Amino acid sequence: MNFELTEEQQFIQQTVRDFAQKEIAPRSAHIDATGEFPHAIFRHMAELGLLGLPFPEEYGGAEADALSVALATEEIARGDGSTALAYLAHIGLGSTPLHLFGTEEQKRRFLTPAAQGEYMAAFGLTEPQAGSDAGATRTTARLEGDEWVINGEKLWITNAPIAGHIIVAALTDKEQGRKGISMIIVPRGTPGLSFGKHEHKMGLRGSMSTAVFLNDVRVPKENLLGQRGRGYSHFLQVLDGGRITIGAMAIGLAQTAYETAVKYAQQRETFGKPIGAYQSVSNMIADMVVGLEAARLLVYKVAWLKDQGQPFSHAAAVAKLYATEASEKICRDAIQVLGGNGYSSEYPVERLYRDTRLLTIGEGTSEIQRMVIARHVLGSFAAQL
Amino acid sequence: MHAVVFIKQVPQQNSVKITPDKQIDASGIEPIISLFDEYALEEALLQVEKNGGQVTVVTIGGEEQIDALRKALAMGANQAILVNDPALATIGSLDAAKVGAAVVKKLGDFDAIFCGKQSTDDETAVFGPALARYLGLPVLSYVFKVHELDANARRVVVDRAMETTTETVEASLPAVLTTVKDLNQPRYPSLLKIKKAQKADIPRWTAADLGLNPTELAPKVTYLDRVPPPPRPKGSIIDGASAQEKARKLVDALVDTQVI
Repeated sequence: MNFELTEEQQFIQQTVRDFAQKEIAPRSAHIDATGEFPHAIFRHMAELGLLGLPFPEEYGGAEADALSVALATEEIARGDGSTALAYLAHIGLGSTPLHLFGTEEQKRRFLTPAAQGEYMAAFGLTEPQAGSDAGATRTTARLEGDEWVINGEKLWITNAPIAGHIIVAALTDKEQGRKGISMIIVPRGTPGLSFGKHEHKMGLRGSMSTAVFLNDVRVPKENLLGQRGRGYSHFLQVLDGGRITIGAMAIGLAQTAYETAVKYAQQRETFGKPIGAYQSVSNMIADMVVGLEAARLLVYKVAWLKDQGQPFSHAAAVAKLYATEASEKICRDAIQVLGGNGYSSEYPVERLYRDTRLLTIGEGTSEIQRMVIARHVLGSFAAQL
Repeated sequence: MHAVVFIKQVPQQNSVKITPDKQIDASGIEPIISLFDEYALEEALLQVEKNGGQVTVVTIGGEEQIDALRKALAMGANQAILVNDPALATIGSLDAAKVGAAVVKKLGDFDAIFCGKQSTDDETAVFGPALARYLGLPVLSYVFKVHELDANARRVVVDRAMETTTETVEASLPAVLTTVKDLNQPRYPSLLKIKKAQKADIPRWTAADLGLNPTELAPKVTYLDRVPPPPRPKGSIIDGASAQEKARKLVDALVDTQVI
């Protein structure tokens, strides 16, 4: 076993850490308070090459491995949760499907501008009736001549109103059920495409998640991404990779909560002693260390599996489940360590708690992760359900 | 144009600890490019972007300095050179300038040399002016704005930051420019250039490669003592029912400690 990062991984980690601490972290409270999308930060991230980090150089990417992407995500999330979520939606959901399943022409037209940061990318999967049960997708796409005509509604689509393209999951063959789902690329400005309001959310308020309405949206036949009818298995593959980076994002948020709690426990005094001297507080700090360390090992390991070309679906579910739940606990305990100040927006921990709360829900709820993990061990019992 | 930039990798501020026997504890040191050298590198990159040409970045030191050079390459420098010779391990600032001059002569063709006004570890501020002296070139120190750097017209015009005033000066090229803080906004390394920077072939030059006799470069200054900075007093959180009360307590505390 080798737990050392390569020089390149260390370099990426350090560069993104410097950038995030100087350029992102100081704006986090403002982003949360106003719900403003951090456009300037993303323009800067594009200059650095962050927006195409995992993609091939020929499409404007940096060709970094999955572990580097996890490390970069962790550092961005240490700076700001909203920025991290928008970043992940761009890289993991809006761009990765093109990298995995796109034709040369699709990669040139859609992956390249996304990787170069000319625009943000988005992925439209969730619907009013199809969240965890993505197989229940109702949005339809019918072929009329050389065009797909798409109708339906999507919910909670991160980056949608600012995206240069949205990859939409739609039923191309209704009677086939799950096997009738395909992915179709919808460029921005396509007539019939409109958006709901910027959702008022508990946390991650600077990331734009809106409803997407598709009303007789027409795109060329060539915008079918991957194979017709294979959309469901395609996006499960995309979501597996997304789970690694959601885990990394959870670690980044928890790291900042932990650091804030440690500093506070060292400085704040009650009854003549720093509060960290009391076991009730120091135990929480110790548990945070364990949670962070274990989450990192799980997330980095699954990234490594992916980089080795090994199956990582099960490990991704384990890592995502553990890291996001550990992060929630760490952010919760950080508020507890800070007491009244923890509950105040003067300190970052209440924001971190609200931000991390999404992560046990988005990109596969904890309940779905447990189901995936248990099925891997017990089998699916599909016949009995 | 060809710009040569001398950079030095130094410990991050506050990461240096001094052991009880007054040696430097290397264990917790976080290496960074010396602050003023980052401005020098950025200015060279900006000038070359404007005028065309290339940037060569040079450092003198051990293998650990490679990280600084790779970072400079990822920022956009075209080539890097490491002068690495155990005989130069304890070299002083003046002799480092002698080595620098030998590097520049070996490189041959160049138009401008950039370096920070001083390093943030030794803080001697000797290197740039001494380098200019050894090369017989004009030195423009404490540069905080470059108005014009024209390799064809062999002309450079800059503002220099003096203690209380500024002055605008002109010199012929080649020249040595030493840079101050806030001359520009140093860029972050590009992740797109990291792979290339990691793979880049960085030549190692020794004293012999530069035609130097190491015995003449033995340190001429000996450290007799090191006094670590006093530990920072502990911070405290000021409580109060209102902002006014907190502010009053803060002012009282600042008066008590004679800060104000």
